[in-house]
Amino acid sequence: MADETRLVGGNEGWAGERGDFAQLSEADIRGTACTEGRPKEGRAAGGACAYPYQLAVRDEDAQLFEGPYAERLAKIRSRYPDNRGALLPVLNLAQEVRGWLSPESMARVAEILDLPATYVRGVATFYTMYNKAPVGRFLIQVCTNVSCNLCGADDVMETFLENVDAEPGETSEDGLFTVIEAECLGACGFPTAVQINDRYFENVAPADVPAIIDRLRGEAHVLNGSRG
Amino acid sequence: MAYPYRHDRETRVLSAHFGDPAARTLAGWRERGGYEALRSALAMGPLDVVEVVKKSGLRGRGGAGFPTGLKWSFMPKDDARQPHYLLINADESEPGAFKDRELCRWTPHQLIEGALIGAYAMRARHVYIYIRGEFFEPAQIIGRAIEDAYEAKIAGADVLGSGVAIDVTLHLGAGAYICGEETGLMNSLEGRRGQPRIKPPFPAAVGAFGRPTTINNVETLCAVPHIIRNGADWYRSFGTEKSPGTKLFNMSGHLVRRGNYELPLGFNLLELINDVCGGIRDGRSLKAVIPGGSSVPILAAEECDIALDYESVAAAGSMLGTASVIVMDDRTDIVKQVRRIVEFYAHESCGQCTPCREGTEWMAKILRRIERGNGSEADLDILLELGRNMTGTTICVLSDSAAAPVASSIHKFRDEYIARMRAPAGVPFPIGALTG
Repeated sequence: MADETRLVGGNEGWAGERGDFAQLSEADIRGTACTEGRPKEGRAAGGACAYPYQLAVRDEDAQLFEGPYAERLAKIRSRYPDNRGALLPVLNLAQEVRGWLSPESMARVAEILDLPATYVRGVATFYTMYNKAPVGRFLIQVCTNVSCNLCGADDVMETFLENVDAEPGETSEDGLFTVIEAECLGACGFPTAVQINDRYFENVAPADVPAIIDRLRGEAHVLNGSRG
Repeated sequence: MAYPYRHDRETRVLSAHFGDPAARTLAGWRERGGYEALRSALAMGPLDVVEVVKKSGLRGRGGAGFPTGLKWSFMPKDDARQPHYLLINADESEPGAFKDRELCRWTPHQLIEGALIGAYAMRARHVYIYIRGEFFEPAQIIGRAIEDAYEAKIAGADVLGSGVAIDVTLHLGAGAYICGEETGLMNSLEGRRGQPRIKPPFPAAVGAFGRPTTINNVETLCAVPHIIRNGADWYRSFGTEKSPGTKLFNMSGHLVRRGNYELPLGFNLLELINDVCGGIRDGRSLKAVIPGGSSVPILAAEECDIALDYESVAAAGSMLGTASVIVMDDRTDIVKQVRRIVEFYAHESCGQCTPCREGTEWMAKILRRIERGNGSEADLDILLELGRNMTGTTICVLSDSAAAPVASSIHKFRDEYIARMRAPAGVPFPIGALTG
């Protein structure tokens, strides 16, 4: 039995307290090896319906459902008995490509699935993960619900806001960060849980926040560089 | 072994390969005996599989504890109304619950194997795994596992060469707690707002896309391969007569070692907290426990010497639910935490039923007023009355779920509410004043 340890330094990558599993790397915990071999066009249709749709890399002006995404769209449609069934996965795909669901994106989804545009809007606005307005490159969602709250989540939320210098839901001036409060993220044993785009950062204490922000800035720098 | 800590008193069945990245791959899963139970099941008749699960006494792990084999037996036994569907509820979002995420991210093939066995037993041609949108990382892991299972002809047109066709589709939600309610989940899967439906008709008659449907929790299906492999009697050798088997206990809050532990049902709550989890952090003492996720009544410390099975927790006036145990130390501000829980339900109410849509909002407002020091004793009566009007009056139990922690906390921690009222308006509550 390992001693209780606070893994600020040892918790490489904030993939969660490792306890008796100290040998695990961040990649081991996150399962990043599994994402390899999942190409943009999808493999078996049963998996192709589900890809992360809150990403640091996106293009607001991209054509929807072209190139590899046209192939994925066809796979999604093959898995539901009617057009309406495909609505959530197709909305997910639109947000994956463009980063948010503009009225125009919703209209395009409606057109493709032959559903009324108002219906699509009505469904999309029911769900919190669809961004109805653009968000920063990194959407930071801090769980402040009971299990995290007991362990200081309110302070973590406050510290993120101070570090990015923005109000909740507002995007920082450099366009990099939008911080919002989240309802329970289902990682209650790893408080405070924070979702940043498609990754969870776990056991986050206020003291960890500057290092997390630095890491994200570094990642943004690399992404900007790779775009030339 | 459960994750991220192990304990000698665990019985590791579902969690045997937590923390082992090699178990995620198809080859790794097969090396660990994976898909042998599926092969055995395919050699049995579908109804024989249902019979074994019935005999095992397995009960649904999503919160309600309904007998799984019985639920499966409600499905039509012929093909007149095909396609039948099996939906897997991986929309884990009850505050305190974090067991399905571990099952999904460490043992995706365990889930797929259980799903295929269940689908075979119920003549379901299509399995949808509805996973909450936030679980992008587990979804990548399951997505990859499904794709590999198709390539190896474990899923698809000819499951392990048996001639049986079962499709598996992973479906990502988009952020709505209510989609964890089974009929809300069906609506969401169909591309609608995730609003629960009135029952009857029950899903086994008219479910997803109007077809016979069964909805099972992730942990329930993960137990199935082990039952098929080892038999119903083996499964019954763990747990109690009415609550057989092992269960993942998701331990959060002020504990030395938080995390999931797999234990036989009927394990003592205080031993779980003090022995398995190493006790309360910072040498503090226990004040209260929510034993089954945020929607169940709170237990005061002196009520916690109980066995954790469905019957015993109910007898103590709460519910085992998802066995999501939220532990609070003596410094905990009960009013604040109850307010936070109620705000969650207010946020997640789908808005269909008036008692829920209005009631959860009003509860949150009144609790905020009390927390600020502006409440009165009459507010407590209003909260209790509101709670009564929110219980049993709506399509689903979200409304009841908000009322339960409010009523139980007022009954058990009334002093803390009253102390708030005596504090001058706007002055923060002196934490610890009541317990010191």
